[in-house]
Order: sequence, then structure tokens, then C-alpha cells
Amino acid sequence: MTVLRQSLELGLILCRTCGLAVSRASLKVDRRCPRCRSRIEHRTPFSTELTVAWLIAGIVFYIPANLLPVMHTSGLLGEADSTILGGILEFWRSGDWDIALLIFTASVAVPFTKFIAIGLLLFTVRKNSGWQQHQRAALYRIVEFIGYWSMLDVIVVALTSALMQFQALGIAEPRAGIAFFCAVVVATMLSALSFDPRLIWDRRA
Amino acid sequence: MNTILICRDCDTVYRAIPLRLGDVALCRRCDAVLARHFGANVETGLALVCAAAIFFTIANLMPILSIGIAGMDTEANVWFAVRSLQRGWISVAALGLAFTTFLIPAVQIALLLWVLLFARVGRRAPGFGPIMRLLHHLRPWSMTEVFLLGALVAIVKLANWVPITAGAGLWAIAALATVLAVLGRCDPESWWSIAPAVKT
Repeated sequence: MTVLRQSLELGLILCRTCGLAVSRASLKVDRRCPRCRSRIEHRTPFSTELTVAWLIAGIVFYIPANLLPVMHTSGLLGEADSTILGGILEFWRSGDWDIALLIFTASVAVPFTKFIAIGLLLFTVRKNSGWQQHQRAALYRIVEFIGYWSMLDVIVVALTSALMQFQALGIAEPRAGIAFFCAVVVATMLSALSFDPRLIWDRRA
Repeated sequence: MNTILICRDCDTVYRAIPLRLGDVALCRRCDAVLARHFGANVETGLALVCAAAIFFTIANLMPILSIGIAGMDTEANVWFAVRSLQRGWISVAALGLAFTTFLIPAVQIALLLWVLLFARVGRRAPGFGPIMRLLHHLRPWSMTEVFLLGALVAIVKLANWVPITAGAGLWAIAALATVLAVLGRCDPESWWSIAPAVKT
């Protein structure tokens, strides 16, 4: 079994932008990557602080995103405001359980998973925990991967509003909830991008 | 190819070995992907980017979805979807959608085309470094595949009420999402290695 060595032990450092292994000694002269000119840091500065800030912003935006209507429809069947959860229930009741499940996953499960997962990562890093490092590294990659799929509802509302423009039959218009939902996606993505996964493996003695 | 690889997720250092087609190198400590076999050279890269540019153009010129009831038609593509969200301050959502499904994919395609056209003639494109950095930072924000899924959901959602048809744009979006995914696998990190290391 070969010994796994960390970049610090070998006097190397990774440029996270272009993937080049740079000698730490050269950083004393120039803090930038010799290949792509990005600034190189041992750990992303203010990583946990920024992650917390964007996470809180995401959670705060998530409340109006769910309480406020995302779409307003008017037509022969009368007027109605629909929320995200309302829309999911409507699909469920009309028998489209597969679409209901898909939207539920993208709009409810994914944001919730992100809040809990990022919260857990932050908490364990704060506690300097050695608990389940392997699983936590995998969790980080899942959060990174599922990040943008929550944009689904924004796109569905936008397309529906673009298409349903029949004065006589029905008109669909976007409502404030969708702007908050878009903000949730951006804030949680920024939160995940701010998190430096190397912190999971750093254990102060 | 870099001779030394450092894991992005846990800082473990490795000596690179040649990979064969389909090979993926994983970190032994944290299982993160260290490197993939980089099959694309400048020619295939250029071919893929040209394909992406064509699909992008079709997707934005042709309707993705359309509804026709009693002589009245409505159509939607990426841009119409963005426009429909322009309503007072809700327009911030329009801005988000415009960036993630229109502007960022367009900029990605244009910049890769620029860089690869120069690489094709053995030159380093003007602005190569900043362009590669920008491409790296734009990558998480490109959401064409999410738009594709959104269009499919919209079809199912509206099909119960109105006769909705998929246009040529939908196929173009599907093809674009596929090509961008392939280009995304050949990540900017790898593009560095194909750029001739001539003077900046």
C-alpha cells in the first residue's frame, strides 16, 4: 500500500482553476498560477463564511418561494393562483404521478437536500470532525451535481406563460414566487461553490 | 498532460499515468475524479463546437413548443420563455433564465470556437488565459439540459388542456444539451493541454 501524500508535505499546491500542480516556493514570489494567472490559495479564503451566508440567503428565499404563487392563470375556468406545492398536488390528483414526482424532486427534495447536506458539511467541518469523511466527500459531490436541476420550475413557468396567451381560452402569467425560487437556486449554487471540500479532510491536531 | 495530479477535493498528490479510452482516474482517498481519458483533439473539439453552434442557432430560430387552437398560434423558444418572465421586478428571474439558458451557452460556444480555431492553426488565441479561466467559472451555470427537461415537463403539463406540438427547436435543444455535455466532459482543465505552449 503506497502512502498517500498531501500537497503540503510535498511542497506543491493545486491551481483549482486550471488543475496545474504548482510549487509552493514559487508562490512566495507570485501568488498567481504560472499557467492561467488565477490566484492560488492553500484553502479558499472565507470558504465557510461565504457558504453559511449563501446558505442562509437560500433558506430565507425558499420561504416566499413556496408561500407566494408562482403562476397566475385566467381563462374559461376562472382565475387561479398556483404555488409550487399546489402545482405538484394538481399533477398528483390528475393522475400524472410521474410528473408530480419529477417536479417534487427538482423543487422540494433537491433544495431541501442541499440545505441539510451543506448544513451538515459546515457543522462537521466546524467541529473538526473525522466522522465519515469518505461519505461526506461523496455528499459534497452530490450537492455539486444536483445544484442546478432546481431551475426546472422556473423554466416550466416561463414556457407555460410564453405559450398560454389566448385571450379567449386562457392566459398564464408568472408571479413573484418564481423570482424567489430563481434566487434560491442561485444562492444555493453559490453556497455549494463557496465550500472548499478539502476542509473535510483537514484535521487540526 | 500534467505529470503530477492533485486531487481537487482532498489535496492528495499523484503521479499521472497514461489513460486509455474510457478510463477514469479516481482519488484513492476520497474517490473524486482525478482525470479522464482526453479523447478529443483540436479537430474533434472544433467539430463538436461547430455542431453546438448550429444546434444553438436552430434552437433559437425554430419554435421549441407550439400550440394551435382554432386558428390562433403561440410559439415558444428559449428567448420567448425569457421574455414571458419580464414583468416588473420578477424580471430578475428573466435575467437568471437568460443567463443560464441563453447567454452563458452562447458565450461558451463562441469562446471555445475562438480558442480552437487558433489552436487549429497552431497558435495561441489572443486572451487565451482569461478565456480559459472564464470558461472554467461559467461551466456550473450553463443549464441547457435543465431547459430540455423543463420543455418536456411543459409538454405533459399542457397536453391535458391544449393541442401542443414539439418543434424542430426541441430536437435542437436535445442535441445541444448532448454536445455541451460531451464538451463539458472535456473540461477546460484538459483544453489547457492541447493549447500550444507558445508565447502569450
